[in-house]
Amino acid sequence: MPTDDRIDGYAAAILEVAKAEGQLERVGDELFRIARAFESSTPLREALTDPRIPAERKKGVIDDLLGAKTSPLTVNLVDFVVSAGRASDLPAIADRVTARAASARRKAIAEVRTAVELDAATIERLTAALGKATGKDVEVKTVVDPTVIGGVVARVGDVVIDGTVSHRLQQLRETLNKR
Amino acid sequence: MHLLAPIRLLAQVTEEPTTEPSGIDLLLPASSELIAGLIAFAIIFVFVWKWVLPVVDKRLAARQEAITSQLTAAEATKLEAESLLADYKQQVARARDDANRIVEDARRTAETHRSETTARADTEAAEIVRKAREEAAGEKQRAAGAIRDEVATLSLAVAAKAVAGAVDAKAHKKLVEQYIAELGALHP
Repeated sequence: MPTDDRIDGYAAAILEVAKAEGQLERVGDELFRIARAFESSTPLREALTDPRIPAERKKGVIDDLLGAKTSPLTVNLVDFVVSAGRASDLPAIADRVTARAASARRKAIAEVRTAVELDAATIERLTAALGKATGKDVEVKTVVDPTVIGGVVARVGDVVIDGTVSHRLQQLRETLNKR
Repeated sequence: MHLLAPIRLLAQVTEEPTTEPSGIDLLLPASSELIAGLIAFAIIFVFVWKWVLPVVDKRLAARQEAITSQLTAAEATKLEAESLLADYKQQVARARDDANRIVEDARRTAETHRSETTARADTEAAEIVRKAREEAAGEKQRAAGAIRDEVATLSLAVAAKAVAGAVDAKAHKKLVEQYIAELGALHP
């Protein structure tokens, strides 16, 4: 089965389970955060994708990391994906679940990365501004990413609006290289 | 002896009674001698005319014919020799022309070859020099680019650290507010 179809299959299954349990929004949020942590943490990614590590131990890692602050349904769904040997597809599956959940609410996902946590009021104003800028009813998912140094970068579908310090430094570097 | 008998007889018949000759008679032969001489001459003349001359004529004609034939042969030989000489001269001239042409061709070929070799060597040398210059320029440019990249990377790392240290909560908030304000200026 092609990877894209497989990701769609897993996403659809998780979506149906979360919908049946009435936790669609929460599961979507938590999966999104887990996917970002998976992407940014190399040790976590290696622990969950290494075929030499037994499934039991992987389950233990997931429980230790997520158990306290994540819903049992989300933990079970992540465990299901990792046990099936699809841990490397976890970010793509989570993104697909989030996008489908948002789409079901007729919204587009805006992935917003900042160096520090944003307060609710700022997220609300950011949501409104992104909606106006993209012409879509957006649902903001925030990710704390220290590598951006400062400022905000938002990705809505294929559109990326980058106002981070790291991006400006990168532009500065490109300008220096051109001279 | 028999042949001279009639002549002697004739001389005896015509012989006049001898008187002592004098004057011119001392010089002139006797008539009988003269007649006998004439007869003898006639006989000899007839003999020579009848038998000797044809043989001589025949021999002379044969001799003339032989000489004419030899002359013709000599003429033909001479003509042939002249023709051969002309042919030989022509061949020698042709051979000389050929030799001159071959030498000239060889000289021209050598000259052309030398010119071509020189031109090719010049072109190759120019090409080598051009490539070397280009490579040197490219290497210089690459080195400059690498140094520029390195400087830019180091500068960026230093700037990132400096900026990261300088961005406090207030600065973060200001940057986010600035971003929201800039979003307001964008249109879908």
